[in-house]
Amino acid sequence: MRQAKQTLLYILQRLVLMVFTFIVIFFICFIMVRLLPISVDTGMKDPDVFYKQMVAQGRMKLDESGNYVSVPIFEQLGRFITGLFTPGNEYPWGVSYYIQWLSSPQDILWSKMLPTVLINVYSMILSIPLGIALGIFMALKKNKWEDHVLNIVVMLFISVPSFVFAFVLQNLFAYQWKCLPAMLPTVNYNNGGWFAPEMFKAMIMPVLAMSFGSIAGFARYTRAELTEVLTSDFMLLARTKGLTKTQATIRHAFRNSLVPIFPMILGTIISVLSGSLIIENIFGVPGVGALYLESINKKDYDVFQYVSMFYIAIGLIGTLIVDVSYGLVDPRIRMGSKK
Amino acid sequence: MENEKTFANPASNADIASLPKELFKEMPDRKDIHDQAFETKPVSFLRDSLNRFAKNKASIVAAAIILIIALYAIIVPFVMPTAHVDATAYPNGFSDSEFSNVLPYCSWFKGTGFWDGTKVLATSESDYKTLQCDDSNHPYFVKLESKDTITTTIANITKTNVVYNIRIDTYAVGNKEVSLSESEYDALKAHDEERKANGLPTIIKPLVDVEGYLAQYQAELESDGTLDQSMITTIITNMRNYYNQNKRVFFKITAKSSSDEYNSNVFSPVFDEEGKPLSIYKLNADGSYAEPTKEGGRYKARVDYYDYFTWKNGFEPRFVFGTNGVGQDIFLRLASGTRFSLLLGIGISLINFVIGLIWGAVSGYYGGYVDLTMERITDIISNIPSIIILTICSIQFNNNPSLKGAIGEGGVIVLAFLVAFVYSGWIGVAGTTRMQFYRFKGQEYVLASRTLGAKDSRLIFRHILPNAIGTLVTSSVLMIPSVIFSESTLSFLGIINFSTSNLSSIGTLLSEGQAAGLQNNPHVLLFPCIIISLLMICFNLFGNGLRDAFNTSLKGAED
Repeated sequence: MRQAKQTLLYILQRLVLMVFTFIVIFFICFIMVRLLPISVDTGMKDPDVFYKQMVAQGRMKLDESGNYVSVPIFEQLGRFITGLFTPGNEYPWGVSYYIQWLSSPQDILWSKMLPTVLINVYSMILSIPLGIALGIFMALKKNKWEDHVLNIVVMLFISVPSFVFAFVLQNLFAYQWKCLPAMLPTVNYNNGGWFAPEMFKAMIMPVLAMSFGSIAGFARYTRAELTEVLTSDFMLLARTKGLTKTQATIRHAFRNSLVPIFPMILGTIISVLSGSLIIENIFGVPGVGALYLESINKKDYDVFQYVSMFYIAIGLIGTLIVDVSYGLVDPRIRMGSKK
Repeated sequence: MENEKTFANPASNADIASLPKELFKEMPDRKDIHDQAFETKPVSFLRDSLNRFAKNKASIVAAAIILIIALYAIIVPFVMPTAHVDATAYPNGFSDSEFSNVLPYCSWFKGTGFWDGTKVLATSESDYKTLQCDDSNHPYFVKLESKDTITTTIANITKTNVVYNIRIDTYAVGNKEVSLSESEYDALKAHDEERKANGLPTIIKPLVDVEGYLAQYQAELESDGTLDQSMITTIITNMRNYYNQNKRVFFKITAKSSSDEYNSNVFSPVFDEEGKPLSIYKLNADGSYAEPTKEGGRYKARVDYYDYFTWKNGFEPRFVFGTNGVGQDIFLRLASGTRFSLLLGIGISLINFVIGLIWGAVSGYYGGYVDLTMERITDIISNIPSIIILTICSIQFNNNPSLKGAIGEGGVIVLAFLVAFVYSGWIGVAGTTRMQFYRFKGQEYVLASRTLGAKDSRLIFRHILPNAIGTLVTSSVLMIPSVIFSESTLSFLGIINFSTSNLSSIGTLLSEGQAAGLQNNPHVLLFPCIIISLLMICFNLFGNGLRDAFNTSLKGAED
């Protein structure tokens, strides 16, 4: 009971701290983004509307001589915060001027979410079981030739950047053997949309390119955990009780070794939302990563700021959940305890 | 030794008495017995680490490969002939658009079809014949690899296409018209005389009279009378374009196909009775080849470009890693890119190491509120992704004309990158240092030193920090590949863009490779990928080796 109360208190404490950190980071980012020079490029659809929007958002004002001038930065911050809490404010986070004329960053972000999540989920479904299975196999064959060979493979796959895999896959499957499309086709909502068979086929390569690294990562981690458990004292006790090696391994070692891997899986699940910049770029996936790049390249600052804050929030929540889950799944770890 | 032997034997007193006398030795009188000095040499921490590192074969190999790559990056920009071309001819470093996207060539593999600058091209029959006609010194057509017959049936009409898979030499760029000054032309002519004496083909080739032939051909078509005027004009315009695009073509071409029909897009060469193409060289009245005439003080001569290049630059245009889309030598560019990436990685790691060390030492040593405040600051800093900082910095710096003027365009990008990676990179080092301080600051030897009057700085740098040096060095070494990786990713994505400056990194080359097209020119992407993969693998192995080497608890574990 006392333990549960302590845990709850710890989670609450971390939550408050997280919110505080987020707010500070937000202020810093806000000021830095707003200090960027506003440019009206040729890609702008209607500069007049742009200036009116700027005035409406409290970023600019008309001075006596009829010119638009910038509002002091802290005044902008004040206007922004009051805007967030004003009911009926349609665009509290500003609007996009280049990516999608005058639509809110939230809408754009959520519309790009599905492909990113799909690719990441496919990659997760592939890499977690495979990685763990590989790790278990390596641990059971420790210091035999299978382990040595797999160790080298795992090391290679962890070190080699994912974009190199992406290029190799693209070259082999798309250009040499011509059995998979090199890029993701444009989505056709009349024909199953993102779940259409040809979409699935096109996603094979990005999913593979993303999975190699994480399979290797999971395998290495599982191997390390399992070998540690296999040599621990309670395994010896289990054997002396009369369990066979298989029984002891399945009933005692596996469950214990999977405990530290669970938070790692949780972390992966959360990072599903953020996507991979480089893989999305190479395979032309119109996802969150691509949106982020587009917002940088087109200098669509409101979108850039919104996506950045989204990334930061995902990162913060991810660390929090991983930290908390460590304590929840492993009672040996007392969360937030002093030394 | 004898004494030990006796004691080792569990014998009773009676047994001792029965032992033979010669086993016993008389103790010398009143001689002091001291501890014996160690006969072995003391092993210092560094020596011990080095010994352990030397046992790790994978790390040694990795270190060797890193060294080779580093040497490649350092030496190649000094010794490559492409790095020392005439600055007036190539103001932005070597690049020759005639040799754009040529394939990698290594003289060891000459004629094997692999790494020898040749590739297989699928061509039609007319192209197959046209490409074999060549008056340059280096034949474009190498050999016929295979012949495929493709039958396609569309609506009951069966069409048979013969596809010739021919191997071509990408370095055989053919003949080209170049503009030469008078002295250059004379020198080239003298050089040609020398070549003739040595039995080599000349560099200067006879001029081609395209306009003359086109006028003649147009007259032919008009007198033939089967085509209307607009068709003739189209054919002549297309032919002119064809001649302009295919500098190799020095012979008559005809719009008549083998089935005696005119086609305004497909042209085939005209052959004489012996099967040789009929040339359209510009001739003098007496039938000899016309000399280039002087126009505005310069000669316009038709030369074999490969040999002309060799004569002009003093080296053969052969590129071990091929060239990119604008004809830059990838071998050279990759070397300078690797050098830049390595320098950036090492520089940022060093800066992060120093900052992290100081921050972590202060935070760990003083503890309490100092530590708490500093920890909160690192918390906030580490949660802002450096990519955001980088974007903001590069846009800000790029819009700052005075800064841009002071350090140049490349400098601005490097500075932005430096800020973004130093900004949060040191946190790892600081965390490690802080942990080490928490571990060691309460220990008795530190207390002893303090009671003897040692100052804080002495305690920190002399007594506590050396304990952490192994872990810190390892984490700093492992930071180098991560910086290189991040940099290449970011310049690949175009978030940092060196293309406006003269700088190049591995990432720049990667993005060039992607722009060149993986399908058509995979070699542009291949070599940067190999180098970066090698660097990542080797640095990781090397770092793991270092970590084991500095881990004193592993001492004797394997013996």
